[in-house]
Amino acid sequence: MFKAKLKEAVICFGAGRVTLKYPFEPSPVPPKFRGKIEFDARKCIACGGCANVCPPRCIVIEDMGEVAKITFNLDRCIQCARCYEVCPEKAIWPTDEFETATPDKSDLKSEMIVWMSTCQRCGRCFETDNAIDKFESKRWRGRGPGEANKHGIFPIKPPIDFSMPGSLVREPEEGQGQ
Amino acid sequence: MSPETLQKKFLRGLTEQFPDILGKLQEHVPGQLIAVLPREELPKVTKYAVNQLGARFVITVATDQRDKTGDFGISYILAFDEEKQFLVLHSNLPADDPRIESVTPEVPAANWAEREAYDMVGIVPEGHPDPRRLVLPDDFPAGIHPLRKEYQYNTRFPSEPQNAPPRMPPPEGSTVVPIGPFYPTLEEPAYFRLFLDGERVVGSDYRGFYNHRAVEKLGDSELNYNQVPFVAQQICGICGQVHSCAYVEAVERACEIEVPMRAKYIRTILLELERIHSHLLWVGLAGHIIAFDTVLMQLWRIREPVMWLMERVTGNRKHYSSNLVGGVRFDITPEAADDIRRVLAKVEEEFKAVVDAVLIDTSLMARLKDVGILTEENARALGAVGPTARGSNVAIDCRVDHPYAAYDQLDVQKQVQDGCDCWARTLVRLYEVFESIRLVRKALDQMPGGPIMAKIDGPLPADRIALCSVEAARGESHHYVRTGEDNRPYRWRLRAPTYPNLQAVGCMIQGVNLADVPICIGSYDPCFSCTERVETLDVNTNEIRVYTREELQELSRRKTLG
Ligand code: SF4
Ligand code: SF4
Repeated sequence: MFKAKLKEAVICFGAGRVTLKYPFEPSPVPPKFRGKIEFDARKCIACGGCANVCPPRCIVIEDMGEVAKITFNLDRCIQCARCYEVCPEKAIWPTDEFETATPDKSDLKSEMIVWMSTCQRCGRCFETDNAIDKFESKRWRGRGPGEANKHGIFPIKPPIDFSMPGSLVREPEEGQGQ
Repeated sequence: MSPETLQKKFLRGLTEQFPDILGKLQEHVPGQLIAVLPREELPKVTKYAVNQLGARFVITVATDQRDKTGDFGISYILAFDEEKQFLVLHSNLPADDPRIESVTPEVPAANWAEREAYDMVGIVPEGHPDPRRLVLPDDFPAGIHPLRKEYQYNTRFPSEPQNAPPRMPPPEGSTVVPIGPFYPTLEEPAYFRLFLDGERVVGSDYRGFYNHRAVEKLGDSELNYNQVPFVAQQICGICGQVHSCAYVEAVERACEIEVPMRAKYIRTILLELERIHSHLLWVGLAGHIIAFDTVLMQLWRIREPVMWLMERVTGNRKHYSSNLVGGVRFDITPEAADDIRRVLAKVEEEFKAVVDAVLIDTSLMARLKDVGILTEENARALGAVGPTARGSNVAIDCRVDHPYAAYDQLDVQKQVQDGCDCWARTLVRLYEVFESIRLVRKALDQMPGGPIMAKIDGPLPADRIALCSVEAARGESHHYVRTGEDNRPYRWRLRAPTYPNLQAVGCMIQGVNLADVPICIGSYDPCFSCTERVETLDVNTNEIRVYTREELQELSRRKTLG
């Protein structure tokens, strides 16, 4: 018993001071760190690649004819940097910033409106090496009514429609018993 | 079926009793047999396999397949761990009469799984001894099963408070002490009602699933194959890599994607590093629960460099985001490998000093030894997994029994103890840290060069089924994937390790003193959020009611929805 306590005391005293001075001094992040997402509207070609792969639907792209509105709800972001990985123009990238706490979620929301164009190098809209990321999923993310635009992007409803009435039970489709 | 499988002992036992079954077995993925049986036969085979042939019940998978075949599907997944084999028993049930005979009276491990199949898909387990609502919130409308395909993931249902499941009546003369619904042991929601006779626990009741997040629904209706791993890794704040790895590996097995060896090694290394920091966290927490906070402080101090290491290697201290179907997203460079070796050397040295002290610390032993007994027999009957099972002399470890990633090349040593108490479970974890350090080093040495991502050219084939079990720090995480057409799984089912272990708690705390309940609950390393997967809220504390339930519900919904 005594021996154990002695050993434990040695461990505790040997540790020295480990508490960091943060937030009174900066706490640098390693080079690979994936922090808050930053984007550049001048580089973006509105291909929709980032919105297609973003797992928590933090990026929503809306087709508005000649232009597209891209909304970033960064409060949903899980810092995976998939958007950066697929972006053909590297118009979106993770920064070092991690102090994103805020009393107001709308601080983390931003929008950009961009002209839609094809890639100047390859002339195509969006190309990725990974076939899975290319496939169009049916019923993909609450596709609203309407036609796909020339890029195959459908007008999209906001990610979750919280204005829905208390009960919204979709009628079963034909051939699907209750 | 492969010739090796035909030789296996369990198969002989099974075909002796059920000669017809041989013609019905299919093996698409090595080590995973699937049999489609009539619904009268399925419970018989399950009971026989578990009780006579020593199979371990893993989970049920209920599927709404009315859009394909017009009926419901139910699969019972069994594991023959020694023979490295999974057996999926599947039955199709008519849409207007989805009933199946419950196996719970004879296979207690199936208790929750069958209740969940009813809650989520509406498969009625006939003759279930305790068919109360398990997963759905107390005020969820009756007769609605949200995993059926007619409901969208964001369908909001009316509140019907009269549907709350009845509570278990306490035995005559006992006092009820509620623990929870928040902070039962850790900062997570679960509600234990303990029935006490004086200081001694004579029974208990559990209500949980307060934090269900509907990820299975998202997985088969909204996300695509490559989005699911990121949602899977958010299931747990500790074993994120485990869940995403189990999911991608199940898809890869189903679709026969050849994953490059280097990617497999990288997954293995991240998994083992995750186990190291999880066990260090647990040992610290165990100290905290029994009010020995020096252990907490020191273990977490030793653990922190591992977290920083992960941040340097993967870009995030948790949620490494490394897995995609077909491989991993980033490499472990030679510099990163040196970094890992350096940090591990320090951790090993410091942890060894702690273990040396802890192993002779009689004050710790006094709180942990002979407390929370889970006998080997009960551990097997209730399907306990991970250190909880290994502390009760049940030598199961998916890294050896059902190898995934690169574990078949690493020669993992199972750590088994026969004390059956909290101390034995502690020892298992202490020794596993050293084993994990050895495995990481070995993996770094053996890791071959080459690509880290497989080339995927076309759409993934539909209607294939595969399973993958990954040994998390707390036990086996099991994922089942049936592939679908829309670039997403048709059904994705997961079972976290806490799910079976939690069912063993009632048994573990029977007869212990009230003061020992927290460490018993803590001793299997509970992770309630992994067990819980649909967003609900219930605040039914009998006593003080500042808000009504509806008010609180409204309040918290407003808060979460922003
Ligand atoms: S980092 Fe991930 S979650 Fe965040 S915006 Fe990019 S893809 Fe979406
Ligand atoms: S992937 Fe890049 S170019 Fe395409 S929409 Fe997103 S930010 Fe713009």
